[in-house]
Amino acid sequence: MMELLQFSLCFMAFNCFALAKFNHFREVFKKKLTDKQRHSFLATGWITILLSLVLSVLSEGGYGALLFCGYMALSVLMLMILYSFTVSWVKHISILNLSILLLSCFSVMIF
Amino acid sequence: MKENFFRSMTWLHTWVGLLVCWLLFLIFFAGTISFFKDEITYWFEPETHTVTHQDNRLAKQRQQINYAVEQLQNKAADSSSWRIYLPEPRNPLYTYSYAEPKQSGQRRAKFTETYLDPTTNEQIAPPRETKGGYFFYRLHFDLHYIDVRTARWLVCLASLFMLIALITGVVIHKRIFKDMFSFRKNKGSRSWLDAHNVSSVLALPFHIMITYTGLITLIFMVFPYPAQTVYEKGLQQMFNEASPIRARVESSDVPAPLVSMNTILDQVYTKSPDADIGFFFIRDANKESSRVSVYLNTGKEVVDNGAAFLFSGSTGELLAEQGKDWSASARFYDSMTALHAGRLASPLLRWLYFLCGIAGCAMIATGCIMWAKRLRERLKPQQQAGVGLKLVETLNLATLMGLPFATASFFIANRLLPLEMVARADKEILVFFLAWLAMTVLAIISSSKRQWQLAAWLNALVCFAVPLVNAMTTEGNWISYLLTQKWTLFCVDFGFIIAGSLFILQGKKLRTASKKVSTRRFQKPKDLKEQQG
Repeated sequence: MMELLQFSLCFMAFNCFALAKFNHFREVFKKKLTDKQRHSFLATGWITILLSLVLSVLSEGGYGALLFCGYMALSVLMLMILYSFTVSWVKHISILNLSILLLSCFSVMIF
Repeated sequence: MKENFFRSMTWLHTWVGLLVCWLLFLIFFAGTISFFKDEITYWFEPETHTVTHQDNRLAKQRQQINYAVEQLQNKAADSSSWRIYLPEPRNPLYTYSYAEPKQSGQRRAKFTETYLDPTTNEQIAPPRETKGGYFFYRLHFDLHYIDVRTARWLVCLASLFMLIALITGVVIHKRIFKDMFSFRKNKGSRSWLDAHNVSSVLALPFHIMITYTGLITLIFMVFPYPAQTVYEKGLQQMFNEASPIRARVESSDVPAPLVSMNTILDQVYTKSPDADIGFFFIRDANKESSRVSVYLNTGKEVVDNGAAFLFSGSTGELLAEQGKDWSASARFYDSMTALHAGRLASPLLRWLYFLCGIAGCAMIATGCIMWAKRLRERLKPQQQAGVGLKLVETLNLATLMGLPFATASFFIANRLLPLEMVARADKEILVFFLAWLAMTVLAIISSSKRQWQLAAWLNALVCFAVPLVNAMTTEGNWISYLLTQKWTLFCVDFGFIIAGSLFILQGKKLRTASKKVSTRRFQKPKDLKEQQG
């Protein structure tokens, strides 16, 4: 479950980085990205990616850092496919990502 | 100045990459497959598929070592070397072997192996003669058919070129963050550039790490001079001092009974209570010079040579401990090797390694194709392609489509070659290279889009043939593997089904692309006439 939480955080971070770009935001929400929104996306992205890295390293040390590199590759690949071929799915996948993140977070805290 | 710098970096990136791209593709391809070396070997030995993973693996290790030593005492008390391999999460087999006396002119002794079911200790039929995943592992740095040293030098040079190409690639990719998630489809060479960029950027830390650590693993061959200066006897002395556990002692003829294995194991478990023993080697058993080496699995630690102990087999005394007094640089070297080989990886990390390896293959493949595509786009309508362009196009088709074709043929050969064939393992490898040669001939005949399409269909055919031939020649098939939860075997078969489907997609895509081209060619004179009219 810890791995799922780390990956969800990493995926969310890169999703935020993608949404902080004018072209991707316009494709998803059909409106212009404001500066305030851009800064919020960037801040959330940096916080979640660092959280993912810290959690990976804290739980598994050097091995966790390797896992984190893998999470980054998988996240970017999935998001590239999502934004290039099925951009209408971005909203649904983002909600799913958030739900999985919360669920894995709760289960890590409980167990 | 800035423009000149970017131009020179682009030039360097292009030529450094193009010069070695086919060799690099082979290295990356074989390396990526080698991440599943043990799993592939397991698939290649269907005789062992009845063996299931045992419960309480660690708790049974002491009993398994004692049982194997007892068996070896009965079978080969005089042998110079005994080896015991305990079941691991990636390999459920429990094996012991002993060295046969060396024949004259033989460099290494031949080992007679016995395979056991770890749950029942019952002997199982020895598997067919095959190299399995080990072939890809050696191909990755020994290249086969070439002298090992020359091959390793070539691999090192290719890695060095790759490192330069990676660094220059980062420098010339001005929009590295802006275009991170962008892939513009159906835009000709622009799409190939996007695919090249995305496959490079998404696993950039992995690409840099794997290339750098790859060079480090062979650094003592490339740069032996510091060790040769410091140590009188050069590299060998350095390695002996770094791992005293591997130091050889002169064999003595004085008989001495082998100490009870429990005496040795008690010391191992005192030093390392959660010890997970991987191998257990005994040299010169029943002699005064007897040595027992115990190697522990590393688990998730980023170390390649885990803890290991050397005992005297006649007294039970602990003689050396590996890794205890290592300097920081020795530890660094060891962890670099661990990062490269990925032997530490659990299934999740192993799949992530594999994904990044595939991204590396895609990065190299798209780079090679893009070079040829750009040059062809620049040709004027009546201009003939030069020798260089034709050579690159032929090599592209032969390598990029030839290697998957050869790999699938290698898997099929494992199932179809007669079991009693002499030097069977070598014949399997011969099939691999013959299949590759066949694809090369196809590429030499022509490297047109139609030929790529033919290669894609052929690749799809052999990929789908792998699970089919497996189902016809063994007792299992990918559905039964799924139902009985034999995930390793299922993943190999299913991997080929996915690869086959991707090749069908590629074939279809190439068909529509060539149709578009031919329609455009057909329509052009008509359009011109209309315009003129």
